[in-house]
Amino acid sequence: MSSSGASIEIHDLRKSFVPRRGVTVEAIRHIDLTVPAGEFLAIVGPSGCGKSTLLHLVAGLEKPSSGTVRIGGAAPEELVRRHRLGVAFQDPALLPWLSVRANLGLPFKLAGLPVNQKRVLGLIDLVGLAGFELARPNQLSGGMLQRAAIARSLCLEPDVLLLDEPFGALDAVTRRRLNIELERIWRDRAITTLLVTHSVEEALFLSDRTIVMERPGAIAQVVQTPFPRPRTPELLRREDFHQLTDQITLWLEP
Amino acid sequence: MDRTPNRSAANFAYAAVGLLAFFAAWQWVGKSGVAGPALPALSDVATTLFDSATLSSLTRSARYTLASAAKGLFFGGTLAVLLAVVMHLLPPLRPGLDRLAVLVNATPPIAVGPILIVVFSRDQTPAALAGIQVFFLFYIAASSGLTAASPALRRVMTGFGANAWKRLVHLELPAALPHLANGLKGAVSASFLGAILGEWFGAPKGLGLVILNAMQNFQIRLMWAAVVVAAVMSLTAFLAAAGLERFVTRRFAR
Repeated sequence: MSSSGASIEIHDLRKSFVPRRGVTVEAIRHIDLTVPAGEFLAIVGPSGCGKSTLLHLVAGLEKPSSGTVRIGGAAPEELVRRHRLGVAFQDPALLPWLSVRANLGLPFKLAGLPVNQKRVLGLIDLVGLAGFELARPNQLSGGMLQRAAIARSLCLEPDVLLLDEPFGALDAVTRRRLNIELERIWRDRAITTLLVTHSVEEALFLSDRTIVMERPGAIAQVVQTPFPRPRTPELLRREDFHQLTDQITLWLEP
Repeated sequence: MDRTPNRSAANFAYAAVGLLAFFAAWQWVGKSGVAGPALPALSDVATTLFDSATLSSLTRSARYTLASAAKGLFFGGTLAVLLAVVMHLLPPLRPGLDRLAVLVNATPPIAVGPILIVVFSRDQTPAALAGIQVFFLFYIAASSGLTAASPALRRVMTGFGANAWKRLVHLELPAALPHLANGLKGAVSASFLGAILGEWFGAPKGLGLVILNAMQNFQIRLMWAAVVVAAVMSLTAFLAAAGLERFVTRRFAR
């Protein structure tokens, strides 16, 4: 397992929205955060705490009101322009008229690169979709679509992987299975990853470190995940895992 | 119990019965003379239509009308799509182009006829009028189609660093195809209408001309025979467009 990817540095970050004239909503009050290269950081918090906004700011989908976000020293827009970001959201958003294989070829086309078929097929295999290369999205289950979306996010070997509740729309059983899969997939490359999730169990199972956010957009707690890798399904049955999950869940309550 | 096969058989039976009832009513009205000499019996129209000399002459005229309609459909449709794409890529132009399109559509085709004769010559007027009729339908279909892609898909494209052109080619145009196919149905009918109407301004050949001459010479059965040919042609094209729409929607819509 090699450590790769870029580090993320967030200084003095603030973000406000003006949804209507005269109304200002503070989504992020203050964030100072450094994510070293190769770290898997999970972000949990109650609804409305700003965790998705934080991810959108790192992804360059929003601009900060003040403060800076730097990925490997560069602004997020720079990385987007150079196609160095991998993203996966709650909606897998595969193009309905393309097969799985063609969908995974899309990042290459958007970057103006020839499609690396070997890497595409390798990723399809890695996420457990071997045999479904030519399937269309409407033939796949929610879990399979999300696997494909994650494979797509890895196509260009990004510097940073940003995941916003990728398993939020799935049932608990599929979600748990995909958590185990994602841990395995991530270990293959170990790139810097930010995961926003509602599930504390998911956060602790996958991450090296978990931050707990509070409304309106600040870090309340930081937890260094004490469990060694590889994380196996047995971990989910351990007493100390559940104690830590419960403790963090308590912090989430107002 | 699966009732779908029975339902489509029932629908077919209803349609057949309805059509037969229509033909029977036509025959009765014509034979009894209830609507006067302007409405001949179906059998009389059929005799005129299937007379070999008349049939070959009507077929020649139909081919001319079809060619005009097709030309109008192609040029009007292409221009409309191009204009919609330009407007999509350059939002400042939108209000002006929208108003122009509405103006073109609102002008009665009869009023536009003389202008077209001057600009295009008499034998191109049918195609030109067909094109104008088609233009607005396709413009609306293309404009709304280009914005049809879901926000989730857009966000993925943005996250992967797609520029406006790539987004257009890979996402917005494919997503617009079902809308365009839907617009094609109406456009096909409009193109025939425009072509026939345009022939009334002095075209050398065509079904519109046959209808007009037959009407003026009080050859009622010939007039009706020509109308039947025009209707069959238009209906066939419409059904083909409807079939294409079903195929495109299955392939390209979510």
